[in-house]
Amino acid sequence: MAETVWSTDTGEAVYRSRDPVRNLRLRVHLQRITSSNFLHYQPAAELWKDLIDLATFRPQPTASGHRPEEDEEEEIVIGWQEKLFSQFEVDLYQNEAACQSPLDYQYRQEILKLENSGGKKNRRIFTYTDSDRYTNLEEHCQRMTTAASEVPSFLVERMANVRRRRQDRRGMLGYKKYEHVLCTLKVDSNGVITVKPDFTGLKGPYRIETEGEKQELWKYTIDNVSPLAQPEEEERERRVFKDLYGRHKEYLSSLIGTDFEMTVPGALRLFVNGEVVSAQGYEYDNLYVHFFVELPTTHWSSPAFQQLSGVTQTCTTKSLGMDKVAHFSYPFTFEAFFLHEDESSDALPEWPVLYCEVLSLDFWQRYRVEGYGAVVLPATPGSHTLTVSTWRPVELGMVAELRRFFIGGSLELEDLSYVRIPGSFKGEHLSRFGLRTETTGTVTFRLHCLQQSRAFMESSSLRKRMRSVLDRLEGFSQQSSIHNVLEAFRRARRRMQEARESLPQDLVSPSGTLVS
Amino acid sequence: MAEVHVIGQIVGASGFSESSLFCKWGIHTGAAWKLLSGVREGQTQVDTPQIGDMAYWSHPIDLHFATKGLQGWPRLHFQVWSQDSFGRCQLAGYGFCHVPSSPGTHQLACPTWRPLGSWREQLARAFVGGGPQLLHGDTIYSGADRYRLHTAAGGTVHLEISLLLRNFDRYGVEC
Repeated sequence: MAETVWSTDTGEAVYRSRDPVRNLRLRVHLQRITSSNFLHYQPAAELWKDLIDLATFRPQPTASGHRPEEDEEEEIVIGWQEKLFSQFEVDLYQNEAACQSPLDYQYRQEILKLENSGGKKNRRIFTYTDSDRYTNLEEHCQRMTTAASEVPSFLVERMANVRRRRQDRRGMLGYKKYEHVLCTLKVDSNGVITVKPDFTGLKGPYRIETEGEKQELWKYTIDNVSPLAQPEEEERERRVFKDLYGRHKEYLSSLIGTDFEMTVPGALRLFVNGEVVSAQGYEYDNLYVHFFVELPTTHWSSPAFQQLSGVTQTCTTKSLGMDKVAHFSYPFTFEAFFLHEDESSDALPEWPVLYCEVLSLDFWQRYRVEGYGAVVLPATPGSHTLTVSTWRPVELGMVAELRRFFIGGSLELEDLSYVRIPGSFKGEHLSRFGLRTETTGTVTFRLHCLQQSRAFMESSSLRKRMRSVLDRLEGFSQQSSIHNVLEAFRRARRRMQEARESLPQDLVSPSGTLVS
Repeated sequence: MAEVHVIGQIVGASGFSESSLFCKWGIHTGAAWKLLSGVREGQTQVDTPQIGDMAYWSHPIDLHFATKGLQGWPRLHFQVWSQDSFGRCQLAGYGFCHVPSSPGTHQLACPTWRPLGSWREQLARAFVGGGPQLLHGDTIYSGADRYRLHTAAGGTVHLEISLLLRNFDRYGVEC
């Protein structure tokens, strides 16, 4: 009693296989528990089931006190969609009047053939395949809960109709209450195999208790005995796949090619895709933005055809919440090169600055300055959304404001770089004392920055993102210094070798030939 | 060569004064870029929001580019139109945004604008519909002659774009 451990876990298990399903084999071993064989536990066979194929077993309707050995144990090996007839089916199909579909006639032929060849080999275990009427009806009437009268809902009807489309609905089930489902096997076209309940393997056998006048206890186990693929076949399959994938990859790489534009060694290329998105919070309507990028004087250069400035369209604002917003969606692309020649300077490199001014020009041709702003381009690559706050210069007194309101025109900056550090500034303290400004709205830019340099290629394996761009460019100079040291070493060794050769032989040690 | 995968969707549009919106979208790239797979333009269905003002399209974008250089990074451009019950289509806005250059998922909100005509045309548009459109569609994604236009702000197109970059670090590009 202590040896047999029942397995009560009848949940389904899902397997995946790329092998065609006709190679699947299942072995079921069914045994009745009596007092005699309880002590000798035999491992049971396994069952396979094919798609919606039910192997059930039905106890013999004739009950007798003494049963021969064969009645108590049965083992069957089943393949995919292999049909084994139950006793009821044999009786049914032998009667020609009961055959209604071509499948029934086919079953009848097979049964007659079986009868001629000496009866069927399975007595208790039989199968239902996908095309049997039983499976469709069974699915329709399957109960899920213990409610006394569970009526299939409309959805169940629809699902059953989908599956049942090809077949008719007539049919009679056998003695259903004597049939127990041992195992259900489902396979779908992607190679997913669902076995419910799972193969017994290390678990103990499953058990069935029959009800009725005789309460009996049966146990059964299911094992997978599919033949393994031959190693040569597997090898061939693998080679075919490798060929296929290899050829596809070659085709793709021939489309792509292998060249890419590169930068000059020692240079950093800054590539910015940007757009002026919108402007919000300004006083007047019909706004447009005039912006430009200023490169620092040292180390930076840009291609000759590069356009570093732009003017957007004039846009009428609309209200968005509290603010009035104008949409521009103006694209621009900007490219610049940073040449890191001077290695003695420790200072961080200066980064280009984006200046913008917002102006309004209305129907009456009144032209007003709405704001000036500036922002430094981001030093890290990636997507950045920048919001530039702007201000405009004001004059003391009412006259200027009235003029601005009625006819337009106001104070303007002569040199836009005054917004940050004027180009003509040379001292140490910048004093803006005396300039009066008023805060106006904001302009939104969206910038996507890319940086390209040969130094990144070499240091890509030891990527340290915390280091600044300058440190990474330093690697270039470090490598050249290492190279210099190695060069000097090689020169010294060569000199030493020459010196050795010029010495008389007896002064050189006998192991001098080891020097290469 | 380096490869770029652009996978995402045009989620929808909000903030337009018209309902029953659909969107015509396209991607424009430079000469160094080659489209390996995917369709580079399309049109969404017409959607009428029942609650709120956001029209949802969930239109898929799935593109695979190969490139020889950084110039001509792909640009997405949109034309948002509204369709009324008589089947007439009216322009609601032009929008534009660059495809991002850093890998990962990006939520983008692209504002749109539409060209304004004279006040007579604006009045006609309010009653009868219609209104000026751009003669050359490429003005949406290039900035060359934009300063000649007088426009009005439209709504916003929402996008969700995921980007996969391949082999860029082999050529020393940091993104």
